Amino acid sequence: GDSWGIFTFLCAALCNLPALPALNCSEELGAGQSIQQTYDLTRYLEHQLRTLAGTYLNYLGPPFNEPDFNPPRLARAERVPSATVDLDLWRGLTDNARLAANYRAYSRLLCYLRVLDGQVGTAELRHRLAHFCASLQGLVLSIGGVMSSLGYPLPAGPAAPPAPPGAPAAPNDFLKKMDDFWLLKELQTWLWRSAKDFNRLKKKVPPAVVTLRLEARGF
Amino acid sequence: SPPLSVSPAADPAVISPQDPTLLIGSSLVATCTVSPDFPLKAEDLYWTLNGRRLPAASYAALGPSTLSVALARLNGSRQQSGDNLVCHSRDGGILAGSCLYVGLPPEKPVNITCWSKNMKDLTCKWAPGTEGETFLHTNYTLKYKRRWYGQDNTCQEYHTAGTYSCHIPKDLALFTPYEIWVEASNRLGVAVSDVVMLDILDVVTTDPPSDVHVSRVGDLEDQLSVRWSSPPALKDFLFQAKYQIQYRVEDSSEWKVVDDVGNQTSCRLAGLRPGTVYFVQVRCNPFSIYGSKKAGIWSDWSNPTAASTPRSERVAGGCDPKGGEQNTTLRRELKQFFGWVKKHAYGCSNLGIKLYDQWRVWLQKSHKTRNQV
Repeated sequence: GDSWGIFTFLCAALCNLPALPALNCSEELGAGQSIQQTYDLTRYLEHQLRTLAGTYLNYLGPPFNEPDFNPPRLARAERVPSATVDLDLWRGLTDNARLAANYRAYSRLLCYLRVLDGQVGTAELRHRLAHFCASLQGLVLSIGGVMSSLGYPLPAGPAAPPAPPGAPAAPNDFLKKMDDFWLLKELQTWLWRSAKDFNRLKKKVPPAVVTLRLEARGF
Repeated sequence: SPPLSVSPAADPAVISPQDPTLLIGSSLVATCTVSPDFPLKAEDLYWTLNGRRLPAASYAALGPSTLSVALARLNGSRQQSGDNLVCHSRDGGILAGSCLYVGLPPEKPVNITCWSKNMKDLTCKWAPGTEGETFLHTNYTLKYKRRWYGQDNTCQEYHTAGTYSCHIPKDLALFTPYEIWVEASNRLGVAVSDVVMLDILDVVTTDPPSDVHVSRVGDLEDQLSVRWSSPPALKDFLFQAKYQIQYRVEDSSEWKVVDDVGNQTSCRLAGLRPGTVYFVQVRCNPFSIYGSKKAGIWSDWSNPTAASTPRSERVAGGCDPKGGEQNTTLRRELKQFFGWVKKHAYGCSNLGIKLYDQWRVWLQKSHKTRNQV
């Protein structure tokens, strides 16, 4: 359970160090394996999120933990990167654009989750959140590794930007609960869709290691 | 029910009071006022509390677009994040919400106990005063100060020895009385425990003794010799350690304790059963630190060490002849095997009957934990 996840995360972190060009481990690893690893991490996070969300929504209390709960998406809540884009539009993007969107989205989602971690009440939730954040950080690194191995540049700017300006913290506790609900919901959708993305990418990328970079560039 | 579409910048409605804190048993009248941008009237609204619709009998229209609800004799909050009081439009859509924090102020934390590991740090634990729940999130802060020296310090590392514990890692003075107390606070108030006064030297504990060896005493069937080293951390300090040994037969859960070991680092156990495997543990009390003549706190027990008493070849009136004989034959064969291995296989010098005994200890421990799960 936990130890497998931490192992995967460490592998992802160690094998995907885009900051060190001389020691590009991902090249040895091969884009194919890199993608497989990212896919596995995504599935692991999906699994982890189910438990985390269940616990967290119970902490928020009904109606947040009711299965059919579907509150309005108030304008202020749009600061969380939304996964609900037109599916045809999404599929029409290049691999590079899709990977970059994933990279940016998870970096921001990680930021918001870390803020959550600082405020949550119970020790159990804090522990679960910390564990999830660590795994999510691993996913961001892993996606970065896939992009490097395919010859794509990493999205510019800090990997984990600070809270975007002009987006104030929720003005009251109830609205904050709604924000938290949407954060978890979006995270769920992102992970669900990323798994599909990486699965498809896996099939596109040939297993060969040496000529990989040249082929990817011509894509 | 379908959600409202994304709304303009203003919130659809405003609830008052917003996120109030209340004592258990109190009553509340809340109002929901729809924003002028919305074409909703008081009669289009309804209330829910924690997902359950509130009876219309408790509503009152205070204006064309303001509906109130009366809540009486509130129970403690269902969750520590607050009860969810929500104002809905007729189709079920959420217009606004307010989190109600209903509970009790905290009670004085009690039973503060502290210990210092090797005089380097201090860990304290306590119990919350409340027999029941406060229903509100309660924060605990451990504070300490040197008596007569004024400045309060706050402990930073919590949950190191359970939920209600804190660890002070450094900057502690010896031969100095400290005042220690715990403050509990929640939205309804603060409660401070009684002050505990102690000197670090009064509550010292240490690591268990190291290098515990248990061996036979020649051919004596009823004795075993136990040797150990004093824990290394305290060798710089002037203290006298006192030790305790406990031992039991492999198949029993009843420990026998040897109390009068004093400060020697060896002891002979007598009156044991022949041909039996025993598990032995030792622990240490750093007694009389710097000549204070006070007892410290007992360390944890060392990991169990195993050894067996010899059994002579002639049949002694044993209780389990079958089991005992099988054991003896197995052990004899194992010893012969290990002797042969030492002679003929290189790099196997660690193999020996002692290792086999340690394996027996481990087997029993893991068997126990498996049974417990």
